[in-house]
Amino acid sequence: MENTSLAHHLILAGLLFVLGLTGVLVRRNLLVVYMCLELMLAAATLALVAFSRFNRTMDGAILVFFVITVAAAEVAVGLALIVALFRKRGTVQSDALTTLRD
Amino acid sequence: MPSDLTSLVHWILFLPLGAAALSALFLRRAGGLAAWLSTGVAFAIAGLSLFLLGKGGDVTWHVELAKFGGVSLGFGYLIDANARLMLFVVSFVAAWIHLFSVGYMKEDPARGRFFAGLSIFMFSILGIVVADNLLMTFIYWELVGFSSYMLIAHYFDKDYAAAASKKAFIVNRVGDLGFILGIAMCLSLYGTLDFAALKDHAAAAKTIPVAVGALLMCGFLGKSAQFPLHVWLTDAMAGPTPVSALIHAATMVAAGVYFMARVSFLLAPEVLHFIAISGAGMAALAGLCALAQTDIKKSLAYSTLAHLGIMGCALGLGRPDLALMHMAMHAFFKATLFLGAGSVIHGCHHEQDMLKMGGLLKKMPLTAATFIAATLSNCAVPFLAGWYSKDAIIEAAYHGGHFAIFAFLALAALATCLYSGRMIRLVFLGEANSEAASHAHESPWTMTLPLVVLGLVYSVAGGFLAHTIIPAGSLQPIGKALGEIAFHLNAPSTIVGLLSLAVGFFGALKFYGSVRGADALQVLSPRTYHILEHRWMDGVYQWYVDAVQRRLAEFIAFLDLLLINGVAVRWIGGGVPAVLGYLTGRSFHRGQTRAYAFWIVLGSLFLIWFLIAR
Repeated sequence: MENTSLAHHLILAGLLFVLGLTGVLVRRNLLVVYMCLELMLAAATLALVAFSRFNRTMDGAILVFFVITVAAAEVAVGLALIVALFRKRGTVQSDALTTLRD
Repeated sequence: MPSDLTSLVHWILFLPLGAAALSALFLRRAGGLAAWLSTGVAFAIAGLSLFLLGKGGDVTWHVELAKFGGVSLGFGYLIDANARLMLFVVSFVAAWIHLFSVGYMKEDPARGRFFAGLSIFMFSILGIVVADNLLMTFIYWELVGFSSYMLIAHYFDKDYAAAASKKAFIVNRVGDLGFILGIAMCLSLYGTLDFAALKDHAAAAKTIPVAVGALLMCGFLGKSAQFPLHVWLTDAMAGPTPVSALIHAATMVAAGVYFMARVSFLLAPEVLHFIAISGAGMAALAGLCALAQTDIKKSLAYSTLAHLGIMGCALGLGRPDLALMHMAMHAFFKATLFLGAGSVIHGCHHEQDMLKMGGLLKKMPLTAATFIAATLSNCAVPFLAGWYSKDAIIEAAYHGGHFAIFAFLALAALATCLYSGRMIRLVFLGEANSEAASHAHESPWTMTLPLVVLGLVYSVAGGFLAHTIIPAGSLQPIGKALGEIAFHLNAPSTIVGLLSLAVGFFGALKFYGSVRGADALQVLSPRTYHILEHRWMDGVYQWYVDAVQRRLAEFIAFLDLLLINGVAVRWIGGGVPAVLGYLTGRSFHRGQTRAYAFWIVLGSLFLIWFLIAR
């Protein structure tokens, strides 16, 4: 712990974020896309905790608790949407879902 | 022992809340049980309040609920002499009205809801009495408004009751808007909402801004039905009669007077002057309007308006002690009058038209005796309850050198005697003017006992009240005021009182006996009668809403449509994509989620670059 700095944490968070973003952009399966979205959120919360720790306040850490709680609820809603989509359309491949165009 | 008294106040405040919760949650179908629960609680708090009045110590207790910066918001009690008196009057009158309701509402299928409503009302009004800061007062103030709304709309399947409750609620909102602005202003000027701290600030400051008093006064104008927000009170008679007696005559409308007395140190002289003039004017107007109502409850409602005007006038003259004393006396005799009216209506099989009554003196002797005693008290017959306070106020107006106010009050006194005589003549004397009235019967004991207690005992024992209980509660100045003022037989107020009694009361008895089955004034001068029916006030509001408020609203809606909807939203939000789509042949718009995500990321990166590079 002594030889890690704020920069280390932020670089890790940035890498995770870009990883998630890449997944969102290139993957076609909505389930995987969704997992990548969650990865991006996790990266953001990691940065928040890091700032909180290095600024010696608890604010960020406490905020993260709320973010995780809300994220859990949001995952439930998102997965339910994907299941509903699959039942209605028979696929969760994003390339097949282009109704928005019309 | 202050801690003992504090827990006593806890009981007084929270017993009715508990009863209300119990009735509303579990006793909706067990109306009889709810009725006796509510009544038992009402008598319990009446006993506790009487004990507190006798004991006489001040209670201050405060807990902080929240703190924002330097501003502390809290919950607490401030029981001083005025509060002890008000607690006693409210709980005592309420207890007997509860008992009356047990008989009056016996056949009502929604008794559980009704008594739950009465109990929640008790909680709210007692809250206003004991609250030690403006915020809690405001919260209870709104709760009182809610319970009044709920009880007026007790017969909610009747259109007129639903409309009346809505009217009461909306008119009170107008006043409360001013009230809450006044609270905000106190907070910004003095940084506190506690009455004690505000009093210190007011004492330290040389002058109080007029706006503070004027805004706080708005709440009083609405709740105490003062001109020009008095229009809701007469319609509120659509509620059951005990509700009219308790809320719209004895206690809630008097809460405004109590509140003004409590914050009297925040009222600038200009505000007081306005209250005095408008109160006296309304007393005269409402007294005359009571002459042109055929519905017995409406006539009494105008009488209440007149007395509220008199109380307001006393406040304005800088005599909150007299205002509170009149509030107490009025609570007793007006509750009796309304309960008597309820008993009459009950006895005549729900007939409310006075022209269809008559000759009830023989058929309902107890009701008639108490009603007449309360009426005489209302007319300020010497040594009855109303005389002590009303005469003192008229005297104060005379000595205050306000001739217009004195003249208005004298006119109000005359009008009071006139409509009282008319009411007695039409309802109790002569012969029955309808089938229902000829088969009238006396009411059961649960209804007549409260009448006897409140009516005979307290209208007649006004002197006892004025000299012992009320000063013992401690309004010191009153004993002195009475000693100085009311006992001079040659004083102007006594002359005015006795003259209007002789001319008004007996004149009305004779005048209204001359025509049978119709109103003598209507026969004599239909035009005067029509003006006094006071329907035109609703017309004035109708005109204001149609011609001023609606036009303004339509204009603002037009601006909204043109500027916000048209220019700001449709033009940018609709125009830019339309042009871009046309130029690029929809090559961006493929319906692929990934492509959209890509453009979003690109746009975000561009924005970040733009912000950093700048």
